[in-house]
Amino acid sequence: MAASEDAKASSLRYAFGNVIAFFILLLIGILAFSIRLFSVIKYESVIHEFDPYFNYRVTQYLTKNGIYDFWNWFDDRTWYPLGRVIGGTVYPGLTLTAGTLWWILNSLNIPLSVETVCVFTAPIFSANAAWATYLLTKEVKGTGAGLTAAVLLAMVPSYISRSVAGSYDNEAVAIFALIFTFYLYIKTLNTGSLFYATLNAIAYFYMVCSWGGYTFIINLIPMHVLLCIVTGRYSSRLYIAYAPLVVLGTLLAALVPVVGFNAVMTSEHFASFLVFIIINVVALVYYIKGILSPKMFKVAVTLVISVGLVVCVAVIAVLIALVASSPTMGWSGRSLSLLDPTYASKYIPIIASVSEHQPPTWPSYFMDINVLAFLVPAGIIACFSPLSDASSFVVLYIATSVYFSGVMVRLMLVFAPAACITSGIALSAAFDVFTRSIKFQLPGLSGNSPIDAGDTSSGSVVAQNETVKTEKKEDPGKERPSRKTEKNEDLSKERHSRKNKKKEKENVEKISVKPQEEKRLLVLPLEASVIAIFLLVLLGAFYVVHCVWAAAEAYSAPSIVLTSHSHDGLHVFDDFREAYAWLRHNTEVDDKVASWWDYGYQTTAMANRTVIVDNNTWNNTHIATVGTAMSSPEKPAWEIFNSLDVKYVLVVFGGLVGYPSDDINKFLWMVRIGGGVFPHIKEPDYLRDGQYRIDSEATPTMLNCLMYKLSYYRFVETDGKGFDRVRQTEIGKKYFKLTHFEEVFTTHHWMVRIYKLKPPKNRLRGKTKKSKAKATATTSSKRSVSRKNPWH
Amino acid sequence: MAISNAPLSLLLTLVFSLLSPSSPTSSDLVADLLTLESQSPSGVIRLSDPLISRFLTSAAVPRPFSLLIFFDAAQLHDKSELQLKSLRSEFALLASSFIANNAHDPSSLSKLFFCDLEFRDAQSSFSLFGVNALPHIRLVPATARNLKDDSHQMDAGDFSRLAESMAKFVESKTKLTIGPIHRPPIVSKTQWTVLIAAFLICVPFVVKKLISGDTLLHDPKVWLAGSVFVYFFSVSGAMHNIIRNMPMFMADRNDPSKLVFFYQGSGMQLGAEGFAVGFLYTIVGLLLAFVTHVLVRVRNVTVQRLVMIVALLVSFWAVKKVVFLDNWKTGYGIHMYWPSSWQ
Repeated sequence: MAASEDAKASSLRYAFGNVIAFFILLLIGILAFSIRLFSVIKYESVIHEFDPYFNYRVTQYLTKNGIYDFWNWFDDRTWYPLGRVIGGTVYPGLTLTAGTLWWILNSLNIPLSVETVCVFTAPIFSANAAWATYLLTKEVKGTGAGLTAAVLLAMVPSYISRSVAGSYDNEAVAIFALIFTFYLYIKTLNTGSLFYATLNAIAYFYMVCSWGGYTFIINLIPMHVLLCIVTGRYSSRLYIAYAPLVVLGTLLAALVPVVGFNAVMTSEHFASFLVFIIINVVALVYYIKGILSPKMFKVAVTLVISVGLVVCVAVIAVLIALVASSPTMGWSGRSLSLLDPTYASKYIPIIASVSEHQPPTWPSYFMDINVLAFLVPAGIIACFSPLSDASSFVVLYIATSVYFSGVMVRLMLVFAPAACITSGIALSAAFDVFTRSIKFQLPGLSGNSPIDAGDTSSGSVVAQNETVKTEKKEDPGKERPSRKTEKNEDLSKERHSRKNKKKEKENVEKISVKPQEEKRLLVLPLEASVIAIFLLVLLGAFYVVHCVWAAAEAYSAPSIVLTSHSHDGLHVFDDFREAYAWLRHNTEVDDKVASWWDYGYQTTAMANRTVIVDNNTWNNTHIATVGTAMSSPEKPAWEIFNSLDVKYVLVVFGGLVGYPSDDINKFLWMVRIGGGVFPHIKEPDYLRDGQYRIDSEATPTMLNCLMYKLSYYRFVETDGKGFDRVRQTEIGKKYFKLTHFEEVFTTHHWMVRIYKLKPPKNRLRGKTKKSKAKATATTSSKRSVSRKNPWH
Repeated sequence: MAISNAPLSLLLTLVFSLLSPSSPTSSDLVADLLTLESQSPSGVIRLSDPLISRFLTSAAVPRPFSLLIFFDAAQLHDKSELQLKSLRSEFALLASSFIANNAHDPSSLSKLFFCDLEFRDAQSSFSLFGVNALPHIRLVPATARNLKDDSHQMDAGDFSRLAESMAKFVESKTKLTIGPIHRPPIVSKTQWTVLIAAFLICVPFVVKKLISGDTLLHDPKVWLAGSVFVYFFSVSGAMHNIIRNMPMFMADRNDPSKLVFFYQGSGMQLGAEGFAVGFLYTIVGLLLAFVTHVLVRVRNVTVQRLVMIVALLVSFWAVKKVVFLDNWKTGYGIHMYWPSSWQ
C-alpha cells in the first residue's frame, strides 16, 4: 500500500519536474532568440558584414529560380573573367534551410521577405542549438546539468558573435548541427539503437551541408572510438554508434557537390577509415573470443596477428603512398595550420591575413566565454567521476577544441559549446553538493532544541531516517518522532533511491568498501555552503551581465552601417550603402568594379555589379593581380585594370572619420599577396626601416602607389593639412593629380571613394604637343610605346 | 691541425701582400674573401685588425662588396643574458643559407660577405667602429667611407627574431636576396633510422601491454591531468606566444631597468602574462572540483570548513583579479542595463 503510494507520488513528481523542465527549455529558447535581437533594435533589420551578403544573394536566387537552377548556377558576376560555379562550390545547408523556412512561411500565407527570413535564421537556430545542448548534456550527466548547459549556451558571447540577427552565415546553423550530431552519437552510444545511428548519419549529412567544420566531427568521433578501444571500453554499442556513421555518413557527404570525392580522397577523412578498419578487426576479435575456448583463442590470435600484420602494413603503405603523392600531404592549408600552427604564417599569407585566423590571447577567452573559463576545469574533473563513454567524449571534445581555439580565434566557436557543456556539468555538480548540504543541515541546527519538532523544516531532517547518517554526532533527529510533510519525505526518499541506484552501480565493482561509509550523506558545512552558493550565483550574474553587454555593444554592429557616439550625440555612417547604391544607379549593368576582395560580396549583392575578386578566396593569383595593381604606380595599375575590363575602382578610406579597417591599413597584405605571385612587388620597398608609414617619411614607392593616391586624392582639401585620423599623422604627399583615373563619387564621410578609369588618350595628341614642350613629349611618347597592346 | 694551417698560411700571404707596396685591386680582394669564405665551414670569415685595414680602411671606395660583421667576444660567451653564442650560431646559419641559396649566382655571392671579429684579436677595430656594447652586428655597405658613421647597425629588434629577421634586415639594406634559411633538421638521418628501429622494436611490447590493459593510458588520472594541462596551455594563449615568438617579458621602454610582464592592449600578450592568467583561470575550476568531489568525502567538519574558506577566498580573489586585469588590458567598460525609469 505504502509502496504504491510512493510510486504514485514519485511519478507525479517526475511529471511535475518534466513540465518545469519543459517550460525552462522554452524560456531558454526565448532567451537565446531575444538576446540576439539587439542588432535589429539598435540598428535595423539588415544583413551584416561580408559573407552573409553572398549567402543572402544565393538564397534570393534559390527562392526565385528553384533548387535545380540553384544547383547548376554559374555566376558570371564575380571573379571576372573566370566566373564561379556557385552550386558546386558552396555549402548549401544554410541557404536550403532559410529557403525552406521562407517557402513554408509563404505557403502558410505569411508574406515575409527573403531578407527578413535570412536575418532571423541565426537566432532561431541558436534556440535550437541550446535545446540540442540540453539533450547532449542530459545524455552525459543528467537533466540538471543539461538545463544549466543549455542556459549557458543560449547566451555564450562567442556564439552570439556569429549568430546575432542579421549574421546570416554558415556557422549560424552549423553549430546547431554540430551539437546535434554529437548528441545523436552519444545517444547511440548509450542505447545501442540503430535508429539513432541512422539519425546520426543524417545529422552528420546536414552538418556537411552546412559548414566546412564538419571535418572536426569526422576526426573527433574516430578519435573517441579509438580512445575507447585503446582503454578497453569496446562494446557492441560503440560499433553501432560508429560503423553506420562512417559508411552512411561518408556516402551522404559525397552527395554534397562541394565535398564530393573529397569525402574519400583527402587526408582529413583518412582517420575515420583507419579507425573503421580497426574497429572491425576489434569486433571480429571479440566475436571470435566469444565463440572459441580460451586455448583455441590463443591459437587463433597468433594466426590472425601474423596475417593481420601483413594486411595492415600493406594498407598503411598504400595510404602513405597516396598521401605522400600530394605536396601538402593531402591536407588543406587550413587544417595544416591547425596541426602545425606556424604553417599558415609561413606559407599562406592569404589565410594568415584574415583576422579571424589569428591566435587568440587570454583576454579573448574572457571576452568570448567569460566566467566559463573558470568553470571548465571543474567540469572536466566532474566528467572523470565516474568516467563513462559519454563523459569521455565530452573530455575529448573539450581538449581538442580548446587546443584548436588556441590556434585560430575563429574556432573559439567550436570550443564554446564544449565550454558550456562542461561548465554546465560543473555548475550543476556544485549546486548539487551545496544545496544538499544546506537542505539536510538547515533543520539540523534547530534540531538541537527539542521543542520545535513540529515545524515543517524539521520534518525534513527526520525524513532522512534510518539510512542516512549525517556526520554530526550531536544530531539527534534520527529517533525523534514528528509529523512529516509528505513532500519532504518524498524528496528525501527520492533522493535516496536515486542515490542508491547510483551507488549500486558503483558497488558492483567494489564491494569491499565499508557499507557504513556508503550510506553516509556527503555534505559540507552549512555556512560555507551558503557562501559558496552565493558566490556561484554572483558568478552567474556576472556572466549574464557580461553576455548581455557583449550582445548589445560588442557583437551587434552590422559593420555595413557604423555608428559612433560623441559629445554631440550619435553619428551614423551609412557610406557603404550610399556607395553601392550609387554604383547600382549610375553605372552600366555590365560594368566591372575592382576593389580589394573584402568588398566583393557586398558589391555583387548590393550594387549588382561584376567584381574581379571576392571573399571566396579560391584563386590566389587573381587576388594577387588586384593586389599588384593596388601597389603599382598609376600607369601599370591602369594597364592591369584595363586588361581586366575594369571600369571602376572602389577604395575604402577611413582617414577622415577614423575608421580603422580601411584599405590603407590592409595595404601591406595586398603587397604581400601580390608579391607572392609577382616578385617585382617587394614589401621592403613600402616600408621605411621596417615601419609602415604614410607621412612624409614614407618611401617613394609607397607615395606613388595607386592605393595611396586613390585614398588620399584631394584629401588635403578637407582640413587643409591632410591629417589622417586613423594613422594619427599628416599624410606625406598632399597635392597631386591623377593621370589615369578620375574621381567619380566620394561618399558623405569619404569612407568609400569610387574612381573611373580614364579612357586611353589619343596617341596623336602626343605628337602635336611635341613641338610645344619637349619634356612632356618624351614622357607621352614613352607611354605610347610601352602601351601597345590593349586595343589591338 | 692541418685544417687550421690553411687559413694561417693564407693569412701570412695576405699580410705579406699587405706589406708589399702595390695596393691590391678590387678583384683581388673579392677573390681573397671568397677563398677565406670557402675555408670557413659556415662561411663566416674571421677578421682581424690587419684584415680590416686591408679590406675596408685601405680599399678604394666604392668597394665591390658589403660586409656584415658580427662583433664577438669569447670572454662574454658565458653571460647568458647577452645570448652571444646563440646569436653567433644564427649568424652562421644566415651566412651558410646565403651561400647555399646563391650558389648558382656567383655575382651576388661576391657582393656580400659575412665576417666576425673577436674582441681579443681586434681591439683597435672595435674602437674603429665605435663598438662598446655587445651584441652588435653591423653592415658595412660598399660605399661606406667612414666605418663608424656610414655603416648600419642592426637594431636589437632585427636580431631578436633570429636568422630570419637578420635576413630581412640585410635584404632591406643591400637589395640582395638571402632566401629561405636552411636550418639543420633537429633529428639527423642516422638518428631517424635509430628512432624508427627503436619504435619498431617497441611496437609489439606496447601492443601486448595494450591488450593486457595495464598501460598508463588505462589510468584516468593521466587523462585527467593531460586534459587539464591542455586546457591551461590553450587558455593561457601559449599558442599565440609560439606563433608570434613572443618573449616571456620585456624591458620597459621608458625605463629599461624595469621589466614589463603585462602588456596593455588586447591584440598582444607576453608569455609570463598568459601563463599567469591561465593559472588563474584553471585554479578556480580545480578548487571548485576539489570542493565538490573530494572535500565532501572528508569526515572532519573543521577541515572541511577551513579548506572551503580558503578555496572560496582564493577563487574570489582569482576571479576578481582576472576581471580587473581584463578591464585594464582591453579597456572595455562592461555595464548593466537598467530600466530607464530607475535612473
